[in-house]
Amino acid sequence: MKMEKRQLRWAKLDNAAKIYPAARRKNWSNVFRQSATLAEDVDKDVLKVALSVCVKRFPTIAARLRRGAFWYYLQEVSSPPEIMEEYSYPLTFMNKKEIRKCAFRVIVYKNRIAVEFFHSLTDGAGALVFLKNLIAEYLERKHNISIPLECGIVDRGQKADDEEIEDCFLKVASAVSQPRRDTDAWHMSGEIESGGYLNLTCFKLPVGEVIAKAHEYDTTLTTFLSAVMMRSLLDLQNEQNPSKRKQKRIKLLIPVNLRKLYNTRTLRNFAMFTIPEIDPRLGEYTFEEIIKIIYHKMGAEVTQKHMGSIISANVRDERNPLLRIVPLPIKNIVMKAVFNAVGERKSCLSLSNLGAVELPEIMKKYITRFDFILGVQAAAPYNCGVVSYKDTLYVNFIRNIRNPDLERHFYRVLKEFGITATLESNRK
Amino acid sequence: MYCVNCGAKLENTEKICPLCGTRTYHPDITVDVNNAQYPEGRVPKIKHRSKTLNGAIIILFLIPVIISFLADFRLDGDIDWFGYVLGALIMGYTVFALPLWFEKPNPVIFLPCVFGEMAGYLLYVNCITGGDWFLSLALPVTLGVGLIAEAALTLLYYLKKGKLYIWGGVFIFAGGIVVLVEFLVSTTFGIAFRGWSLFPLVALILLGGLLIYLAISKSAREVMERKLFF
Repeated sequence: MKMEKRQLRWAKLDNAAKIYPAARRKNWSNVFRQSATLAEDVDKDVLKVALSVCVKRFPTIAARLRRGAFWYYLQEVSSPPEIMEEYSYPLTFMNKKEIRKCAFRVIVYKNRIAVEFFHSLTDGAGALVFLKNLIAEYLERKHNISIPLECGIVDRGQKADDEEIEDCFLKVASAVSQPRRDTDAWHMSGEIESGGYLNLTCFKLPVGEVIAKAHEYDTTLTTFLSAVMMRSLLDLQNEQNPSKRKQKRIKLLIPVNLRKLYNTRTLRNFAMFTIPEIDPRLGEYTFEEIIKIIYHKMGAEVTQKHMGSIISANVRDERNPLLRIVPLPIKNIVMKAVFNAVGERKSCLSLSNLGAVELPEIMKKYITRFDFILGVQAAAPYNCGVVSYKDTLYVNFIRNIRNPDLERHFYRVLKEFGITATLESNRK
Repeated sequence: MYCVNCGAKLENTEKICPLCGTRTYHPDITVDVNNAQYPEGRVPKIKHRSKTLNGAIIILFLIPVIISFLADFRLDGDIDWFGYVLGALIMGYTVFALPLWFEKPNPVIFLPCVFGEMAGYLLYVNCITGGDWFLSLALPVTLGVGLIAEAALTLLYYLKKGKLYIWGGVFIFAGGIVVLVEFLVSTTFGIAFRGWSLFPLVALILLGGLLIYLAISKSAREVMERKLFF
């Protein structure tokens, strides 16, 4: 009997994904991790089977990056990748070769299943759907249970539908585009760890207390945490550079999930960001003022109209016929130069809040914890991922420098609000 | 447990306080290192860049060396122009390929090497052609240009500030070099000093002076930025 060869699906990179392959460098690529900790040790054999099911179900996430003449594209992997062992730090460097072979990793350590994604595949919200389904498939096989199709769990027997693999940026771009000019932010620095080691510090916070505190200030959890982060950055800059006149702007990049704003289920990248900023040269800021700045910035920018106009600027470049026919290697040089000039100089770090992880009731007893960890930026030493599950908020700081100065201030500021974090780290 | 130094609340798996680096201690709790979130001492091997490519580049440079050697030797059984080719290729290799061997090549060290080679090459040409212009012309000019380039590069590489001052200085010294060239050419070859080099000297001094003025005056800088932005 002749085996029918499966036609592998391929897809163009979405608008946001296009920059990441070009921005990659010798020892850095844009990777993030999501992990779930189970109540018991992971059975790798069962996980392998579950993974092979999910790989077929999510062809644009379980993919590898390939080169065309003019653009990169994603191609579904023909077989699931090997399950990897955990290293002493998360998000070890994913090199060009690996990204071309398979642009995501599945890593198991004791009772934790972690998946690390190259950012061209999807964003945080898309990745979470993949992880949830991987775990659902694993649990169904391991414990013989049946998990209802809710909270992002999909039917893994079906094929991916068109809405899931659609590049929504193209759909929502508005006719008018915004100029992209922006000011540079303060650049944190420090002694870089040798050998690419990344220091991870996890702040575990009681989610109820944080929300209660946020409500005291009439605001949301994300805004409150962002304000705490900006307060910490202000204090850190005061400590490292006391001369007010010479201080630089404090800017925080807050990713915005556009799926709710545009009501879509796409699993490709579909996020933008907003960057609240504070100019410390103008004087001391109270916590209320910081909250106001973030709240109003988000209020003005997290709207269909504003986001559409920003997206339109990006999409316009992608559609420009002159740019399209430039061969890929030249495009890479240009895009890398643009990324270096504007990409990450506009913020001190990102604070990405994935939100509260919702799961079908039956899954909850098997899963004790979720983590969301961003890789460091190309030029800045920090990043911060936030996720909450059950009663705990997990704030994961990653840094490639030795000293935990920002974490120290973040801990202190939280403490001043009466919130005590429990710390965990992978310190050498 | 809590950090004995800074008081931060820690998981019982922590060996060292993540905030202040103090070793954790609790009389009743044993630190449960085995249940830490990440295994200890397991880091990926860092792959250094493959040296194969660098080797391939050497071969690429060797091909013209061998071909020109054979061509030169076979044509008349003598070696005359092969030295020029070899010298040029060695210089080309130093500039474009040699830095690839280093993890972090420092241009401040490479530049004098290039100028040294250049002086050696000129000396070779001088000796082969039986000229006597090396000591009186080629060496001082190479030395002068090399010194200015090295000084500017060192300053630009190690100082974060003062780019305008440095470039201003480079232009002014470059003007001096032009005069030096004309003077040395006239003494070496016995041509009358006509003073054509004074025109570029004035232009370069004006340009350099302008840059230094811009460096000093913030308002002038702003005017230039306003008028010239693109």
